[in-house]
Amino acid sequence: MSTREWLLSEQPASRRQARLGQGYRTWLAFRGNWLAMVGLGIVLALIVIAALADVLAPYNPVTGGDLNTQRLLPPLSPGHLLGTDDLARDILSRLIHGTRLTLMVVALVALIATPIGLLVGTTAGYFGGWVDTVLMRLTDIVLAFPRLILALAFVAALGPGIENAIIAIAITSWPPYARLARAETLTIRNSDFIAATRLQGASSLRIIWKHIVPLCMSSVIIRVTLDMAGIILTAAGVGFLGLGAQPPQPEWGAMIAGGRRFLLDQWWVATMPGLAIFVVSLGFNLLGDGLRDVLDPKGRK
Amino acid sequence: MFHKRLLASGAIAALLIGSMPLRAETPADTLIQAWSIDDIITLDPAEIFEFTASEIAGNSYETLIGYDPKNVSDIFGKAAESWTISEDGKTISFTMREGRSFASGNPITAEDAVFSLVRAVKLDKSPAFILTQFGLNADNVDEMVVQTGPMTFDFKMDQAYAPTLVLYCLTATVAMVVDKKLVMEHEANGDFGYEWLKTNYAGSGPFTIRDWRANEVVVLERNPNYSGEAAPMARAIYRHIPETATQRLLLEKGDIDIARNLAAEDIKALEGNADIRIDSGVKGSIYYLGMNQKNEFLGKPEVRQAMKYLVDYQTIADTIMAGKVKVHQAFLPEGFLGALNDNPFSLNVEKAKELLAEAGVPDGFTVTMDTRNTPEITAMGQAIQQTMAEAGITLELIPGDGQQTLTKYRARNHDIYIGRWGPDYQDPHTNADTFARNPDNADDAASKPLAWRNAWDIPEMTKAADAAVLESDPDKRAEMYLALQKESQETSPFVIMFQEIEVLGMRNNVEGFIVGPSFNDNSFAHVTK
Repeated sequence: MSTREWLLSEQPASRRQARLGQGYRTWLAFRGNWLAMVGLGIVLALIVIAALADVLAPYNPVTGGDLNTQRLLPPLSPGHLLGTDDLARDILSRLIHGTRLTLMVVALVALIATPIGLLVGTTAGYFGGWVDTVLMRLTDIVLAFPRLILALAFVAALGPGIENAIIAIAITSWPPYARLARAETLTIRNSDFIAATRLQGASSLRIIWKHIVPLCMSSVIIRVTLDMAGIILTAAGVGFLGLGAQPPQPEWGAMIAGGRRFLLDQWWVATMPGLAIFVVSLGFNLLGDGLRDVLDPKGRK
Repeated sequence: MFHKRLLASGAIAALLIGSMPLRAETPADTLIQAWSIDDIITLDPAEIFEFTASEIAGNSYETLIGYDPKNVSDIFGKAAESWTISEDGKTISFTMREGRSFASGNPITAEDAVFSLVRAVKLDKSPAFILTQFGLNADNVDEMVVQTGPMTFDFKMDQAYAPTLVLYCLTATVAMVVDKKLVMEHEANGDFGYEWLKTNYAGSGPFTIRDWRANEVVVLERNPNYSGEAAPMARAIYRHIPETATQRLLLEKGDIDIARNLAAEDIKALEGNADIRIDSGVKGSIYYLGMNQKNEFLGKPEVRQAMKYLVDYQTIADTIMAGKVKVHQAFLPEGFLGALNDNPFSLNVEKAKELLAEAGVPDGFTVTMDTRNTPEITAMGQAIQQTMAEAGITLELIPGDGQQTLTKYRARNHDIYIGRWGPDYQDPHTNADTFARNPDNADDAASKPLAWRNAWDIPEMTKAADAAVLESDPDKRAEMYLALQKESQETSPFVIMFQEIEVLGMRNNVEGFIVGPSFNDNSFAHVTK
């Protein structure tokens, strides 16, 4: 029996086989969607580039070359594939090192916002009653603010800097996950298996953590992946306004802000980081779409 | 009905298309300038201390005395006709010019001049120190500035200051003559009309201020009652355009006559444009680094000197700040009495390393630099960071907005601060007072000049600077300032780098704009187009 047959077996012999088989089928469905594969490719490339930035970048991203001769060189200049900026820094190297900041923002926001959203949503959905009312009204309040504006207000209060930008974005992005998790919880909290667990004496904490959260995970993951593009754009927006990463850090939004002054004559300084943001956002969106197609039970034929 | 509307919109569309190739043009009798005017907080001369508002006041109010912007040592009377200095040098008696009037039609008398000075001292806003440094304060000003006749008054001081110092101080915006009758009509709760004058006008200059809408526009109109030669332009308008690239596009299209905030790259790009002329004037502001003497490394004299060899002055002036600064390394800007114009320092890593070795830190050290997050300051900071690294000094930039960095600097909690200093009046004392005087280096000192902010304790230099204030012979005085600047170059914790050049891009038909050494000297009273 080949591995493939073992995985696709209709009569799994063990729990592990069933689980792996399920994963493999999901992967097959995902692989069939070429756009999703492009998205996955972009995201994987982002991770690889971020990990190997020191090796891949031809120049130091922070210190520039000779101001007299190497400033604002156009793309495809010898030695500078994407040109240089106003401080004679290689734009390609800055973009490569910028992937770390972008990835850090995305990962940390996801790590902070998702647990908060899940916790609030599942608790509200499971307990219902006044707990639900209080938590959901709180969610509504946060949701009522436009995200970028609220993030700007937080950054302005906390002070500029990439860490504060991450906190601000995280604080503003949990409500959708809370709502999603609550909706999922409501559909399953009266199921027989939950009742059975409760009869066995499981605590609320255990029920939420062991039985409800895993069932909410897939839809939340899809939502988080789809939100990644938004998070990147918000981070870039905050950086553009000078409230995110501070110079000389090669944050893409800040790079656009710096290059804006030269947009008329040296278009590449602002355009290259713009393209990077565009490609990565697109990658996350395509990946999220693909994940939804394979993970969302309702979307399945 | 429907057809009619269709026809009408078609006609409008045709009109729009037809007018497309025409160049937008500003009205022939109106001068339109694009400038970032968000610094204006008031239009009251007693409080104005901002670049933009100074220029507006300079064109709409008159001072008692003025100087030739091309040669600042040529001082002459404006609202005042003449003055005499008493034997003991403590009193200056002014005689006002006859037959002049305010825009309101009220005549300008000594009463207005006295009122303006007393008002500025009593209101005690930021620029009031320019007058109060002569021993004036709210309690004694009524005895110190006294009207002696309908057109004469006396200005008394506590010491015999150098006459040029006093006269230059009286050319500042804070000493501009306001229309007493008009202002007092709008007085409320004994505020000398302060609330009213914030947004209104009571002057006698070639233009009147008709309208100021914050972050939008300032409109000036020709003063029909101006006692001098009437301005050729009927109106002068400042439009608030913060983006330099937008200013450049508007200028290229002819939507504005003068662009005031062009970046180095815009200047370069506009140089080839036949419709546009670049005009520039050396301003008094200087860019410098202040090194806190509380820092264990920066406190060493050799380190201070080494830092002066680790800035690539010429390259920065030729590239990131091209056209906007010139290398200048003394605390008095060029054009001032006694200004030192040698530039002894240039990038010399070897020399710096020798000095660092002498100081006992041959391998360098790490310091921070508080850097305001404006594009130009940030770019300069990063360029300096690179050259310092060549001598092993790790310079960490701490970015912040103007408020943050300045607050830290004023509390002297910084290591290095990169800043810009603009003189308050045309006399050398304005900069000597801050760069070379530190009467009390204690943390709770009453006066906190730049030397104090960098904890530079200089009792001897303070005495020398104080003596220069009282020297009445201009030549001797100039020599005293030269000596102070030389000493400062050899010992001070200030790396003085550049003097600012103000750049204007203007349409070719605009003639007669005068770019003066300070912003209230910028004049468009004679502009034609």
